[in-house]
Amino acid sequence: MTAIHLENLVKRFGAFTALKTMDLEIRDGEFMALLGPSGCGKSTTMNMIAGMENPSEGRILFDGKDMNGVAMGRRGVGFVFQNYAIFTHMNVYDNLAYGLRMRRLPESEVDGRVRKTADFLQLGPLLKQPSAKLSVNILQRLAIGRSAIVEPAIFLLDEPLSNVDAAFRAVMRTELKHLQRQFRQTMVYVTHDQLEAMTMADRIAVMDHGVLQQVGTPLEVYNNPDNLFVAGFIGAPGMNLLKGELADCDRGLVVDLGALGRSAPLDPALAAAARANGTRDVVYGFRPERVSLAASGEGMMMPVVFVERIGARTIVHLGPDGQRIKAVFDNDVAVEAGVSVAVAVEPGSVRLFDAATGQCIREA
Amino acid sequence: MNRSLPFEVFRYAAISLALAVTLVPTLWMASMAFKPIAEWSAAGADLTWWPKNPTLDNFRFIFGTSTSDLIVALDRTAGKPILSSLLSAVFGTLIAMGCGTAAAYGLSRFGSGKNLPLALIQLRLFPPMAVMIPVMIMWAFLGLVDSWWGLALIYGIVTLPFAFWLMKTFFDDMPREIEDAALVEGCSRSRVFMKITLPMMRPALASSALFVFILNWSDYLIALLLTTREWVTIPVYMASLSSSMTGQLYGAKAALGLIAAVPPVIMGIAIQRHLVRGLTFGALKQ
Repeated sequence: MTAIHLENLVKRFGAFTALKTMDLEIRDGEFMALLGPSGCGKSTTMNMIAGMENPSEGRILFDGKDMNGVAMGRRGVGFVFQNYAIFTHMNVYDNLAYGLRMRRLPESEVDGRVRKTADFLQLGPLLKQPSAKLSVNILQRLAIGRSAIVEPAIFLLDEPLSNVDAAFRAVMRTELKHLQRQFRQTMVYVTHDQLEAMTMADRIAVMDHGVLQQVGTPLEVYNNPDNLFVAGFIGAPGMNLLKGELADCDRGLVVDLGALGRSAPLDPALAAAARANGTRDVVYGFRPERVSLAASGEGMMMPVVFVERIGARTIVHLGPDGQRIKAVFDNDVAVEAGVSVAVAVEPGSVRLFDAATGQCIREA
Repeated sequence: MNRSLPFEVFRYAAISLALAVTLVPTLWMASMAFKPIAEWSAAGADLTWWPKNPTLDNFRFIFGTSTSDLIVALDRTAGKPILSSLLSAVFGTLIAMGCGTAAAYGLSRFGSGKNLPLALIQLRLFPPMAVMIPVMIMWAFLGLVDSWWGLALIYGIVTLPFAFWLMKTFFDDMPREIEDAALVEGCSRSRVFMKITLPMMRPALASSALFVFILNWSDYLIALLLTTREWVTIPVYMASLSSSMTGQLYGAKAALGLIAAVPPVIMGIAIQRHLVRGLTFGALKQ
């Protein structure tokens, strides 16, 4: 129930700059995912919001109030650590009760809230158990419960699901979202898993090398990535990116993809934007699921390199070395490694990037 | 794991040798403690592992109640030295652990650089003999000679670097997130230390305290120089168990040695769970 504003935030560790001038507005009650590969500065950002690290430059505002110099215990944030940081010398009950007791609540109220939270997280039967020997899945719930029980205005989660098994991760994704819907806290969620970010977040902030790349709703960053990094990082598999050169032909503007021949003509709006951008060297991008098999003679002829049948769908790796793409087809698609197929890209799904800057080329 | 037969033979031979080196003398001492004078003094004539006529005479002798066939009169009994050893070693351990733990926590969490911790551990490399004469003079000046509290103080000082270094490695290994988790709930730093860090460090504290206690308990040199009569410790008293008539009183020494082995063994058993388990922060996945 607090808006967070990061203003020109910079963090340096000695000569190393972990975070370069970050500006981000996290709205009241919003579920914001900080997404990026290891070392992109997402955890550093989170630690500064919590008050564990001080920014080298810039400000952190909670509802317009500068948090610089405010001790982490007084910021009203809850923090779930990647390694859970459970107090192993206490039992489950005392772990849950810890934050409430720190706030000197009467023991009767502590008891009520511990039981309520335990029921919500299905920890009820385990309350008297020592926490040292619990399984990872239980520890994970306990860590969330211990932070959630004090109903913090801001809830910070640092890769909470990275150590649990895949099935439980899927369960927790829905439960966390449910938890956040119920309490309407402002939630900041650090993850390197784009699936977690896509499924839970209201908005995603994609980061790389200490630089904020793009902020938007999951569909915005998925459909309209601002640059090559976001295009490749979001989605599993990521966007197909082929180097090419703009070329004019009688049907309009096309992208010359070298050995693969020429692309279908670009949409008039995209073609206009590409002309306005000026450069001829571009990257031709399209989502794997926007590729379809075409009649031979149409589209691009590409050799099938590898076929991954993953059940619901089939991922087909196509193309010569250096121009590899992936396509997602139905699970029973009749392609085999070794043959060549003709593929076509759905016309409206093409994204163009400036090869020199990596920025997306869009209609202004 | 599949190991080759020669390796297994070598492994068990090495373990047996190590056990023999440590256990045979200990068992020999235990056996001797219950032998009458005729058996322990018959050097080389008739060596038996098991006492033929087991007796508690050696224990009675050092506590001064009966001297059956020993014609030596002791000028003091073992009671006071045992008390002296216990008091000085226990309080010395408390001093070393208290100061060492506080220093280790401070330097582990807030210290920068590694010169200060290294300087502290270098004190351990200093031979105690080199400083004992000046310490003797200081202790004489302060009126601390021949007192258990004077001994406890110097024991605490001498073993402090050891306690510090052990605790520092334990604190360094403890994940900061656990303390951060408590701090973020509004816990003060001192409260975190008392309520979270120290309780989680119980295994580390127990095993470090045991090592420090054993160092203090087995000291001979310092006690020899700093006590004269009233508060001599077990090792110093043991050295005095001889006479011009009988030579070394091995039976009495063995009895005292057996008694001296009791406190470390009891402590070891009491904290065995911690020693075996070591430090396991079960809830942490790195």
